[in-house]
Amino acid sequence: MKKYLYIYKATLIENLSYIANILLGFINFFIMIFVFVNLWQYIYSDSSQIINGYTMEQMIWYVLTTEVLWYGSKNKVLLQEISNDIKTGNIAYNINKPYNYVFYILSKHLGEITIKLILYIIVGILIGLCFIGPIQNFNFINIPFVLLTLILGVLINSILRIIISTISFWIEDSTPFHWVYDKMILILGTLFPIEMFPDFLKPIIKCTPIFVVTYGPAKLLIDFSMQNFTQIIIAQLIYLIVSILIVAFLFSKGVKKLNVNGG
Amino acid sequence: MKIIEVKNLNKKFKIKEKEKGIKGSIKSIFKPKYKTINAVDDISFSVEEGEILAFIGPNGAGKSTTIKMLTGILYPTSGDMMVNGINPSKERKKLAYTIGTVFGQKEQLWTHLTPYDNFKFFGAIYDIPNKEIETRIEELKTTFELDEFINTPVRNLSLGQRIRCEIVASLIHKPKILFLDEPTIGLDPVVKENIRKLIKQMNKELGTTIFLTSHDIGDIEKLCKRVIIINKGKILMDDTMNNLKYHYLNKKIIEVKLKEKVNLQDEEGISILKSKGNNLKVEIDITKKDMADVIKLLDVDKIIDINISNIPLEDIITSIYKDAKALSI
Amino acid sequence: MLMEVKNQIKVMFLSLKYNIMKQMINKVTFITNIVFMILNNASFIVQWIILFSLKDNIGGYTISQVVLLWGIASSTFGISHILFNKSFELSDLIINGKLDTFLTQPKNVFLNVISSDTSISAIGDLIYGYICLFIYGINISNFILFTIFSITGAIILASFASILGSTCFWIVKGDIIADSLVNIMISFDTYPGTIFKSTVKIILYTVIPVGFANYLPIDTMLNFNIMNLIYIFAFTALIVLFAFFIFNKGLKRYSSSNLMSSRI
Repeated sequence: MKKYLYIYKATLIENLSYIANILLGFINFFIMIFVFVNLWQYIYSDSSQIINGYTMEQMIWYVLTTEVLWYGSKNKVLLQEISNDIKTGNIAYNINKPYNYVFYILSKHLGEITIKLILYIIVGILIGLCFIGPIQNFNFINIPFVLLTLILGVLINSILRIIISTISFWIEDSTPFHWVYDKMILILGTLFPIEMFPDFLKPIIKCTPIFVVTYGPAKLLIDFSMQNFTQIIIAQLIYLIVSILIVAFLFSKGVKKLNVNGG
Repeated sequence: MKIIEVKNLNKKFKIKEKEKGIKGSIKSIFKPKYKTINAVDDISFSVEEGEILAFIGPNGAGKSTTIKMLTGILYPTSGDMMVNGINPSKERKKLAYTIGTVFGQKEQLWTHLTPYDNFKFFGAIYDIPNKEIETRIEELKTTFELDEFINTPVRNLSLGQRIRCEIVASLIHKPKILFLDEPTIGLDPVVKENIRKLIKQMNKELGTTIFLTSHDIGDIEKLCKRVIIINKGKILMDDTMNNLKYHYLNKKIIEVKLKEKVNLQDEEGISILKSKGNNLKVEIDITKKDMADVIKLLDVDKIIDINISNIPLEDIITSIYKDAKALSI
Repeated sequence: MLMEVKNQIKVMFLSLKYNIMKQMINKVTFITNIVFMILNNASFIVQWIILFSLKDNIGGYTISQVVLLWGIASSTFGISHILFNKSFELSDLIINGKLDTFLTQPKNVFLNVISSDTSISAIGDLIYGYICLFIYGINISNFILFTIFSITGAIILASFASILGSTCFWIVKGDIIADSLVNIMISFDTYPGTIFKSTVKIILYTVIPVGFANYLPIDTMLNFNIMNLIYIFAFTALIVLFAFFIFNKGLKRYSSSNLMSSRI
């Protein structure tokens, strides 16, 4: 455990020197938020309207939260490093080192995104407060619960990305599969909450990672209830355990394949 | 006729200096400090048409910077140069038609294509009509014996064959001058020999002037009649290979194995490099001491084995570098 | 002059052909890249179906018009990444001193550089663009207009990316700014221009030229207007000239650079 913490810390400190890059990255974030705010303002013809149980303020806070999660946790370690390691055969050296490769990648990734995510959260809150105003009925007691689901969401997202990257063991380029995941989260998971989908799609969407990765934390932030919280946290725990098992399974399979081919 | 003429050429670079620690990093964002270095420092030389010239020096001596200026990639800070009667900084495109370049570490070929397809591509770059390009490839193929692999994708070729094609590709437009930047880097001795043959051949048969930079003494010894040694941006020596050798060939190394110890000491023209038991290694300056005298001093009857040799070129060049270093300090 | 242009185009197409050949070596990757890109783009339809279930028209657009907007955006993106892929990676080439090889060739450096690579997934984008046109309802006149606007759009997008990429000749962090602004253009081009307020619209027709690349072409396809066509052509010509100008200015600086990174 100690060595992973060390990897995490080392990456985090390294990233401190890239703060300027992170700040420049905000340009994109601002623009996406700007586009979505315009879109929702257009759809809500007057601000008192309620669509599927959401006010316009709630809707925009929802988008803000999911976009913070999207931009704040995006990183090329999970997207490229694993695939590259597999493609170049570097992974053969990595799995022989005295650490677990998956945990190594995970610590590194979390180290890369921590500062970014915190900065995005701060900026997100500032944008929200300045342009939309505070969330109605927000209670500060809920913060620890929201944070817990948020962290679990980021963690699950990371593990799912690792699963997709391990496809590189079998198909040279795993990027197309990342696109599919990207699009699922981006289109279905960030722009609108599950309630906006047609009835027959709702149960399906609830089973997808969207529910635990983006919807969960965002929903709890804008409309907290203990019932929602327990539902979400249980789903997250199930996702976490299952995804870890899948990673372990795929990795052992993949490494075996590597040995057969000699890298 | 002089094909390359360089006069008082200079290239200065600025490097950012950074202080240590976070404080230093922040400081360098707001108030960057620069240090100027003279990558090429007031050099002048010329190359005759049809010559093979070696341009050598240690890492960071300014070799590549000079090549880059001569090929129009970099503009000099000051000074004049003419390559094939063209000023590289002013008429880069016009120059490009008359020169070829091979940068040893950078590949220009498309690795998934065959050499043949690659040659056609370069033909298009140099505006050679389709008909002409076919005959040209045919010519190059027979001259440089490429039949065996001209239709094999480059990625399946051996490193030696690859570099061969790399060099031949740069000849597609019949350049008058070929700039070779470390062409034999990372190759095994057999392949090196092969490439040297190729270079010699195109110099002889096509009359291509060759401007060669290398680390490899063998390249220079076997290929060049003239050598320019550069270090820290300055030309240390510009001389014929013969002169270079002659100057240092006055010195011989004697390695001798004796039956018993002989009393030989440093004196005018003799310096003892190594003395261990009955083995001796001595450097002789034959302008000051005759070989016969030295052998007499060693006592012929006691010699078991003797080896007299020239100083290897490698050592000669190293000592020139070192002398220059000593001078600059 | 004419000969020079002809030779330049010959080199560009050879390089396109060879790049595609290169990617075709691995057929599975080649096909998955294209197919998944089409699926990737198609997934946005879901987003719009849901949005239109909330409101009948968005910014005066019906759903089929949004499909057409997507089509133009997608084929614009596709063509620019097939023909001029390196204009989107110009900053990397400049920062890492990778322009040297191009400088030893007797061709126009700018065109040679930006056309030296091809993105394969962009073929998927191009195909998707025409699928959208087909869904919208294809006929000869809108096919011709669509093709013209895809080409002008691609040229505008590539020029825009090149101009931003060229800032790396001067600015250290130019690559991030360039990436961000190109992304902005791509973010805007799939949403109806009409949902934005007028001040933003001015920006979209100037600083970020998505107006001329996408919005105006859509308007023109819906209600043909010869003046719009002229505006689009004029703007395309202007931005191309500007891209050449900036790049060549920067290239001079690159060659006479006295900053040493990896340039020794």
